[in-house]
Amino acid sequence: MTHVSHSRPSGDAARIALIACAVAIAGMLLAPLATLGRGFSADAILLHISGSVMNLSSSQDAPVHPTAAVLALAWATLASLVATVAGAVTRQRWFWLTGLLAFALAVAAVFTLGGALNDEINRISADTALRPGAKRQLRNFYSSGGMNLGLFLPALAGLIAAGAGLSQFSRAWAALNRLRGLLVPAAAIGLAVLVGAVVVLIVQPAVNESGLPLTFWNGWMAKADLVYFVYSTLFAPVTAFGPLLDSLKIATPLIFTGLSVAFAFRTGLFNIGAPGQLTMGAIGAMLVGVYGPSGLGWGLLPLSVLAAAAGGALWGAIPGLLKARFGSSEVINTIMLNYVASSIFVFMIGSESFPFLGRTYTQPFKAQGSNPQSELLQEGSRLPPLLDLLNVGGSGQRTVSIGLLVAAVVFFAGRLLLRGRKYGALIAGVAAAVLAAVTWRIGIPVDVTGSRLNGSFLIALACVALFGTLMWRTATGYALRAVGLSPRAAEYGGISVARGTILAMTIAGAFAGLAGTHYVNGGALNEYRLTLNTPVNVGFDGIAVALMGQSTPAGVVASSVLFGTIDTGSINVQQKLDKVSNDIVTILKALIVLFIAAGGFLSRRVTDPPPPPLVAETDRTGKPEQASLDSSAAHLERSTPLPNVGQSSEQIKREGDK
Amino acid sequence: MDGVFDQLLTTAFLATFIRSTVPLLLTALGGLFSERSGVVNIALDGLIIFGALAGAVSTKLLEPSLGAAAPWAGWLFGMLVGGLIAWIHAVLSIKYRANQVISGTAINLLASGVPAVLLTALYGVSNESPKVERALPLWGVAELRFSPPVYFAFLAVAVTWYVMYRTPFGLRLRATGEQPGAAASMGVNVSRMRYSAVILSGVLAGTAGVFLSIGNLDSYVRNISAGGGFIALAALIFGQWKPLGVLAATLLFGLLQALSIVLGGNDILPPTLMQALPYLITILALIFTGRSRAPKALGTPYGG
Repeated sequence: MTHVSHSRPSGDAARIALIACAVAIAGMLLAPLATLGRGFSADAILLHISGSVMNLSSSQDAPVHPTAAVLALAWATLASLVATVAGAVTRQRWFWLTGLLAFALAVAAVFTLGGALNDEINRISADTALRPGAKRQLRNFYSSGGMNLGLFLPALAGLIAAGAGLSQFSRAWAALNRLRGLLVPAAAIGLAVLVGAVVVLIVQPAVNESGLPLTFWNGWMAKADLVYFVYSTLFAPVTAFGPLLDSLKIATPLIFTGLSVAFAFRTGLFNIGAPGQLTMGAIGAMLVGVYGPSGLGWGLLPLSVLAAAAGGALWGAIPGLLKARFGSSEVINTIMLNYVASSIFVFMIGSESFPFLGRTYTQPFKAQGSNPQSELLQEGSRLPPLLDLLNVGGSGQRTVSIGLLVAAVVFFAGRLLLRGRKYGALIAGVAAAVLAAVTWRIGIPVDVTGSRLNGSFLIALACVALFGTLMWRTATGYALRAVGLSPRAAEYGGISVARGTILAMTIAGAFAGLAGTHYVNGGALNEYRLTLNTPVNVGFDGIAVALMGQSTPAGVVASSVLFGTIDTGSINVQQKLDKVSNDIVTILKALIVLFIAAGGFLSRRVTDPPPPPLVAETDRTGKPEQASLDSSAAHLERSTPLPNVGQSSEQIKREGDK
Repeated sequence: MDGVFDQLLTTAFLATFIRSTVPLLLTALGGLFSERSGVVNIALDGLIIFGALAGAVSTKLLEPSLGAAAPWAGWLFGMLVGGLIAWIHAVLSIKYRANQVISGTAINLLASGVPAVLLTALYGVSNESPKVERALPLWGVAELRFSPPVYFAFLAVAVTWYVMYRTPFGLRLRATGEQPGAAASMGVNVSRMRYSAVILSGVLAGTAGVFLSIGNLDSYVRNISAGGGFIALAALIFGQWKPLGVLAATLLFGLLQALSIVLGGNDILPPTLMQALPYLITILALIFTGRSRAPKALGTPYGG
């Protein structure tokens, strides 16, 4: 690392900073800076960087507070963005500083604005002349305000520019390089959001409740605001505790199905059968939960959970077996089995009776009544809501134990501190368990009722741990990954590809089957039973989750929570805008898969950037071909794997695949 | 049981049989072009849906101005949209070397979201389009009256066979799917052959969709393809990637679908379980297909 002092940001890094900042400048000039207030149907008072205020809301007489400080900060942000662009054009060493400054100024503007809006809210609360209804309405009006595209884009661009500029330093480059696995998913999300924005712009006319005609400029501002509104509403559930619990509830089955697809993926198999496996798992859980021996009490719950895993495992094992024995494509077979599972599902709980060879029999599994559903599960086989499970307060009082949170924090901190030590993970695990037991009685009071987040979330987390351990800490996992990377080499190395295929599909099926516990045992659909409206298509979402998580356990959890969030937020979007349905989220997920398959359209020079010494040497000699790395840097370069599981890097083909 | 056989020997059953076969046949022929050029096309099911949607919506929109010509324009739009969406799959798998199964799955996922968003924006309902006044005309005699795509489908088999085995284009296409390197060394533009084959598959699958929406019904309904694209893919494998084999395989699957429709109304087996029959037989058919004769370069990106 002797050349560090000579290095400048690489040409590509400078170009990335340049593009990001140019887009942000355009955004500041052409989009609203902030929303000063927002009514129920997304109508807003918008502030532009020029200081002009556009009131498109239904409350025309709403007072507008002074915004001079926000505007001043915004202009300063704009100036630092321009400086960053100038620095990036000439590949200066300092442009990371101005980028960081732009980020800081934009954030400061956001907080200043938040303070001003808070003052307004406090003033309304103190106003005794207002009726309670009007008070609430006005309070909501101002609390829905906040930053808009004109502050969000500079903050984002400032961060990107700072990162790109810092990559000139070897240490920062190494730190960023470890994160490059996030690059393709992040680019895919960015592109999907962009295309989704175009869709929103086309289908939804500008919201204007003011009754005044829109000029071209105002119309454009309203449209730009619309895009920001849709996305801020989609991602809003992470910011509050109650909606966050809802998001985690929706994320739970996604974790299961995402793990399922990811597990098969690691073995080089594509499992599109998660919906069918989920269905069979739910049926298994229902059969044991309803008809199991009632004498077992709570002992019935583990049996029911195991039955869910077994049902899914069976439905995964069939295509695995067919692939291993007859070479028939698991892609087609899993899809076919989805339809078969759906038939069985409808057959079991769809109607009272069925004909067979000319005679009519009554269907034993369907509950009496007009609704297509099974009987209620026995008490002993129900998974309690998570908040009840963690409740350490007395009856009638909701106090959530902090034990689990402490355990998670301690475990990850311990892992970080003891990295490289022998038994580091074990020590961290034991410490986490001990501290969790100690802090279990300490709780935080919360006032959230009716959350359907249930114990299956903990099962999902256990599955995540199981996935990681099995895949990366056991001989079986090693064999499976070898099969996934190159079946022929694995076979040559003495690993049975057939056995690996069956095993991987069985375990993948079991993961997807366990998602059934969320709906049946966990009562996520409001009743502890199997109903026909179980959204089995979350199995397909598992594909998007696995791809976005790049088939790693942590990635699957993160992308499940993200998808759970936008699924929750989409309901709000649908309520407030008349032309945008919540299916927009389905399109976003599909686009994310599409863009990950295309590698985020990122060039190799971005996903696999040259290290600073190489850049410095190229700069000095002007001949990129002759630049070389010293051995330690070359080793570091080799040891970081290329990102993106969605692209075919080499030919992975099995003998006789059909 | 005698009653059942009587039901199967009627012209009504023959008509049902042909109507079940045609979408599979068109789609499988589309798949044939794509896979013979070396690109796995699991997006067929989504392409049917896009074709059906485009056909129904454009017919509905053009009816007031075009009158009787509207469904024909609808067919054209269905083909165009099918080809356009297939082009996306082609760009990803040929230019950006995407995993072709994932890229196809992405198209299928799009097909489960785009119709709902479009229909909500246009008509305020998310799961079906309003009925068209004029669907495609029915040609034929008595009960055997079919819309033009039916005749087009059987004609397409003959044309496909001729193109594949008697024209330079067909020869180049097959070479591209077997040995792209060798084909390229003989001056064949591999990526152009693949692009045209994948787009052609979208046009044919789009036609299948148009048949379903305005040739067979008179509107687009949610999940109109009912997995037909995947069954067509299985028929393609079962027919060993040959036009006449594909015809035979789709006739078999079409017969099974027609059987499950007719027998579903009887009291021999539960109708809900009868619906699973074509899918089960598809799995069985793949088991009994001999060791594969798939194009050798299937699923592998070329060059780059």
